[in-house]
Amino acid sequence: MHKCIPDAEIIETEINQKPAFVEQKIDLIYLGPSSERGQEIIIQKLKPYKEKIEELIENGTTFLFTGNAIEVLGDSIKNEDGSQIEGLEIFHIRAKRNMMNRRNSNIIGKYEDIEIVGFKSQFTQAYGDVEENSLMELELGMGMNENTNKEGIKKNHFIATYVIGPILILNPLFTKKLMQMMGIENPTLALEKEVMTAYEARLKEFHKKFKPESK
Amino acid sequence: MSKKTLKFYIALWGAKAGSIILKLLGRNATYFPGKFALSICPNFIEMIGKSKTIIGVTGTNGKTTVCNMIEDTLRENNYKFIDNKYGSNIDSGIATTLISGVNLTGKAKKDIAVLEIDERSVSKVFPYLTPTYLICTNLFRDSLMRNAHTEFIAGVLTKYIPKQTKLIVNADDLICSNIAPDNEKIYFSIDKLETDTEKCNNIVRDIIVCPKCNTKLEYEYYRYHHIGKAHCPNCDFGTPKADYIANKIDIDKKKMTILQKDETQEEYDIPNTNIINMYNMLAVIVLLKQIGLTQEQINNGLKKLKIVETRYSEEEYEGIKIVTHLAKGMNPIACSRAFEYAKTTDGNKIAIVLVDDLHEDAKGTENIAWQYDTDFEFLNDDTIKQVIIAGPRYLDTIVRIRMAGVPEEKIAYEKNEVEATAKANLEGIDKVVILHDLYSIEETERIKNKLKEMIKEKETK
Repeated sequence: MHKCIPDAEIIETEINQKPAFVEQKIDLIYLGPSSERGQEIIIQKLKPYKEKIEELIENGTTFLFTGNAIEVLGDSIKNEDGSQIEGLEIFHIRAKRNMMNRRNSNIIGKYEDIEIVGFKSQFTQAYGDVEENSLMELELGMGMNENTNKEGIKKNHFIATYVIGPILILNPLFTKKLMQMMGIENPTLALEKEVMTAYEARLKEFHKKFKPESK
Repeated sequence: MSKKTLKFYIALWGAKAGSIILKLLGRNATYFPGKFALSICPNFIEMIGKSKTIIGVTGTNGKTTVCNMIEDTLRENNYKFIDNKYGSNIDSGIATTLISGVNLTGKAKKDIAVLEIDERSVSKVFPYLTPTYLICTNLFRDSLMRNAHTEFIAGVLTKYIPKQTKLIVNADDLICSNIAPDNEKIYFSIDKLETDTEKCNNIVRDIIVCPKCNTKLEYEYYRYHHIGKAHCPNCDFGTPKADYIANKIDIDKKKMTILQKDETQEEYDIPNTNIINMYNMLAVIVLLKQIGLTQEQINNGLKKLKIVETRYSEEEYEGIKIVTHLAKGMNPIACSRAFEYAKTTDGNKIAIVLVDDLHEDAKGTENIAWQYDTDFEFLNDDTIKQVIIAGPRYLDTIVRIRMAGVPEEKIAYEKNEVEATAKANLEGIDKVVILHDLYSIEETERIKNKLKEMIKEKETK
């Protein structure tokens, strides 16, 4: 994203710092995947700002949460021993960990008129309100859990998906949409020719390899 | 060791018969006999007779090299042992090795076992087998799909390493040195080097905050990624004091002096001065000293060591050096080290990048997240005159290398490795570095042959 918007100021928040969005207007709030212990610390650190996050989601601030980051905003994360960690309860999903069974999948999904390609790699599955406010419907790969093809959450300009990075590099059309949400009218991408070529080739390959019946 | 059951004997004899049949068919028994035995008798590893001294080697990078070094030095000194050099490093491979080391009654024939153990597989091995010594070389992020993250792997190791096992760990690695906190440990370290830096030159550091109090760690110096010397400014967490410290390294003379806990010093030959291999050698020296080898015995072995050709090779052809360097696909640290080598090795160079995990690709894996944890930025260097990209996912690698700042005019590419190599511009080039994946040995050979053909052609013009 920084290469696409070279003038953008990137604020990296360390674990013991107050998030910048509490006092400033931020155009994109990003949270990436973390370790299980990391998730628990992040929940504790973000708890005082729950209402602020809800307010920002409601007023249309752009968010991108990838990998297991969405679980932080869910109701709970359950361990295999039955113990559970309470989330921020902004979205009513419940994650369930299975640490000796990592789930990996390639995905093809449809978000509005765009095909999204990418990868998921996670210990958890999410249950609860996973059908509501979903980001996309998958044609390939596991959704929020093994019984659904609904993937991610979208509410206003809040976007969360278990799909991991480099989701933006792999999906130039989606990246442009995200930039538009951030208020950029005619977004252009860094290395647009190269990323589009790689995207089109991957899309074709995924369809051919994993969905031979499709064109 | 628990009592042997009828199931155990059926599994053992069946597996031994299977090994003989595989040998007659000319195939290596790398894991099948063990897999068969474990399917019949799940606690087979617990029941089978074991060597008196079991040396385990685990960690993200360097397991195979360390095992090879231990085995070569033991062999040089006429020790008899079993090892899984030709077997896999997961439970079935280890069971296969143990089967080869016992007689028909299941009794161990040799006193020493050297076992490379995959760090993710310890949950299936350590409940049944207690290493006398366990070397943990280092812990870095590895395949995201399999190993997730280092906290997970460190947690698995801590959970399953038997309490009686004495650990030999890298003190300069704050993740590795903190596994299994209740076990007896011997720490090894390399003292501050001139090449150490105040800032980290890598994208990835797998430990940034103190695992005890979440305060940002302060580094006295970085060596590579999270390797270096650090402490928490808020609590007692930090790099432990080492028992064996390589405190004088003479790269030109290829010598290393080790300061031991009792303040005595010993000098050793270091046939390979790459920092990773110095750590590997240090781990080997510490281990061999524990089992009673003298400095002389160890050094005699070290002097003759060679790095396996599939990991590193160099050859001079008509004035141009052709180097092959393993850049293990999906392993961002191993690839970053290889790319740094391409940057720092002398001369004007061409880097040929073939880092697709072709073997994984054959199984349908597409995940390229690891490329963005890898320091492709090292390839953006004035001494690297051309970067050639090949392999099934070459389009992704082009994007990554362009993101790293390598100018378009320096990049050549083709999916096919020979066609890509044909685009090499050898004018003014001293060295071609082929950075290849573990499963691309044949492709690497084809690249080398094409290069030789081109060099020859250039000479005859």
